[in-house]
Amino acid sequence: MKKQMKWTAAAMAAVMAFSLTACSGGTDSGSTSQASGTAETSSGEKVTIKFANYALLEDAYTEFWEGVKTGFEAENPDITIEWVTAPYADIVSTVTTMAGGGDKVDMIFGEGTWTSSLVDSGLIIPVTDVLSQEYLDGFYENSLEASMVDGEIYTLPMYMSPFILYYNTDILQKAGVESVPTTYDELLAACEKISGMTTEDGNAIYPFGQTTASVAISGSAINSMIFNFGGEVLTADGQLSIDNDGFKQTFEMLKQLDEKGYTPENCKLKDLRNLFALGQLAMYYDQSWGISGVENINPDILSVTASANPLAGGSGEGASLLSTQTLFYCDNGDANRAACAKLTEYLMSDEVLGDYLNNIVPGYPTLKTMSMPDNPVLQGSLGSIDKAVAAPSVPAMNDLNLELCTLAQAVTVTGTDVDTAIEEFRTAATNIIG
Amino acid sequence: MAFSAAKNIRRGRTLTQRQGDTIFSVLLILPTILVTTVFILVPVVDSVIQSFLDYKMKNIISGKPGTWNNFENYIKLFTNSKLGPAILQTFLFCLIVVVAQFILGMALALVLNSNIKCARFFRSIMMTPWCVPTVISALIWMWIFQPQYGLMRYIVSVVTFGQVTDLAMLNSPSTALLGIAIAALWKQVPLSTLLLLAGLQNVPGEIQEAATMDGASARVCFFRITLPYMKSVIKVVLSMAIIENFKQFPLIWTMTGGGPNNATTTLAVLSYREAFVSNNLGSGAAVTTVWMLLMIVVVVVYNKFMGDNETT
Repeated sequence: MKKQMKWTAAAMAAVMAFSLTACSGGTDSGSTSQASGTAETSSGEKVTIKFANYALLEDAYTEFWEGVKTGFEAENPDITIEWVTAPYADIVSTVTTMAGGGDKVDMIFGEGTWTSSLVDSGLIIPVTDVLSQEYLDGFYENSLEASMVDGEIYTLPMYMSPFILYYNTDILQKAGVESVPTTYDELLAACEKISGMTTEDGNAIYPFGQTTASVAISGSAINSMIFNFGGEVLTADGQLSIDNDGFKQTFEMLKQLDEKGYTPENCKLKDLRNLFALGQLAMYYDQSWGISGVENINPDILSVTASANPLAGGSGEGASLLSTQTLFYCDNGDANRAACAKLTEYLMSDEVLGDYLNNIVPGYPTLKTMSMPDNPVLQGSLGSIDKAVAAPSVPAMNDLNLELCTLAQAVTVTGTDVDTAIEEFRTAATNIIG
Repeated sequence: MAFSAAKNIRRGRTLTQRQGDTIFSVLLILPTILVTTVFILVPVVDSVIQSFLDYKMKNIISGKPGTWNNFENYIKLFTNSKLGPAILQTFLFCLIVVVAQFILGMALALVLNSNIKCARFFRSIMMTPWCVPTVISALIWMWIFQPQYGLMRYIVSVVTFGQVTDLAMLNSPSTALLGIAIAALWKQVPLSTLLLLAGLQNVPGEIQEAATMDGASARVCFFRITLPYMKSVIKVVLSMAIIENFKQFPLIWTMTGGGPNNATTTLAVLSYREAFVSNNLGSGAAVTTVWMLLMIVVVVVYNKFMGDNETT
């Protein structure tokens, strides 16, 4: 009996060891199945586009993207779209890991700020390898400039937005602010009037919101504010350039706004959207599509919401950082590239994207042939596009953006003086950029 | 001569009891060795090697190996003034959570072991936070601590009769780590309580009874009888807590992203930023290697402090 138990245990151990081998075998067979998909592609009979898209997991956009798949596949029966999904924060690492395992996606829907890092990783190819120069000539120049790395266009901008000023017309009116601020001096004057106001249920109303929490998008927003003041963080060739008045004035302004209690401290954009939706924030900076988040929380707030061009500060003229939502392409052979070109043209058509920008995500078109959005909230900031700047970028842009947030937090929540905080930022940024 | 050879062959065919046991033991331990080697040892060694290389995302995608970069990752790490504070934050966070977790866990275990009514019900309810995924816990606590419309702000405002209306736990560099520690405790205390409760229930009642009859106070009984008998369970609970919090990442990254002003940048956050935000895997591996060495030191010191498992 004892001997029998002994051999049963040994057999179980062997089964466990075998199952490990079987697990690794499973991965192989998975790869084979994906490889066969690619083989079918290269034969030219049926093409499958692997499209990495985080937006598909976000309720507000699922219907649109599923509609794109259905509509495109109906028009192109020889092309199939296969979604690769992951949450926003994980989509880049997902496609990178897949590529490391020899399984590249064909297209990625993402943000323009990812471009430098994706180029540096060697994952994406120039857009000119997929789309003709003639087609690209139809895009606004600044949107293509925002998509360039080393003079080459690496991403196709679908739609764009600067950081614009959203404001609550009701609060401004009650506070006696007669005209919407156009400069930071006017902003301070308006903030003084709004300060101390409360909502009907007694909650404080913050006059102005600028995101500074430790997320990369907050860094982009701060970068945009630096452009408002005519400053810069990087030179055109990606070198650190912070010894300019505009850079310092930006953080002096953030410190001043914080010390006077005009801004909620250390907020993420979604916190500002919540406060704005609840009527607890009079003005704040956001991208055009950010208002969708506000609308989801409180649709009624749109009736008292308007937008304005970014403010001008110091010697700046109110320039702003141009943000884009873009398409990236990877190389999986001629047939896949041709299929991606078809899908892009379908996606960028007035019927598909025009409808999306007007009804789902407020944004400014990048194609010259498309009309500007008729969204009433965006009418006040239509001129902002002309002053929007395509910021230089480096592969570790996200980390640099996080350091900008740290700098903003140092002068606000920690109370460090601006010069000391800038020197700390210089050390950290030099380490990142090299 | 022929006889001796035949004897050897026969020996080769029929194993001795000792040889059989050895082969049997090796067979049993083989899956563990295989799993440990493939999933723990190889990645650890690979990570240490990467820490000496210029190794980025493009190396993964192109399949090209990293190149030796003359300790550049370590030089950068030790000169960028982030490592020291990150080590300090890691130890501070770990210390706060482990100590508070043990005290709270033990207190709850003693309460649940005292034959209170509905003990089983409370035990089940108490386990709920432990079942919630860490990221969800982080999001719940972010909402609770939200400085403008969060629940904590409201409660503090009510409790202080409107004197404190601007509590911003996660926004202040001096309280942000404490805020995350509270969230970590909420999630981790239930399991500690359950394990300590199991340990408590194994303390022989007759010894406590005898000590009580000899005039020992409840405090003496607890420190001289209960705790020594629970030493092995306590050791497990503390080990788990130290490891869990030394490597805590999702809670911190989700709640503060390492801010404000790097006040919650622990080694885990620093490692992630280097590897996956800056896309510099070599640099991230350097942080991880330092982190691992510190963890080894902590474990050695802990084992020395806790001694063996035997009860006295």
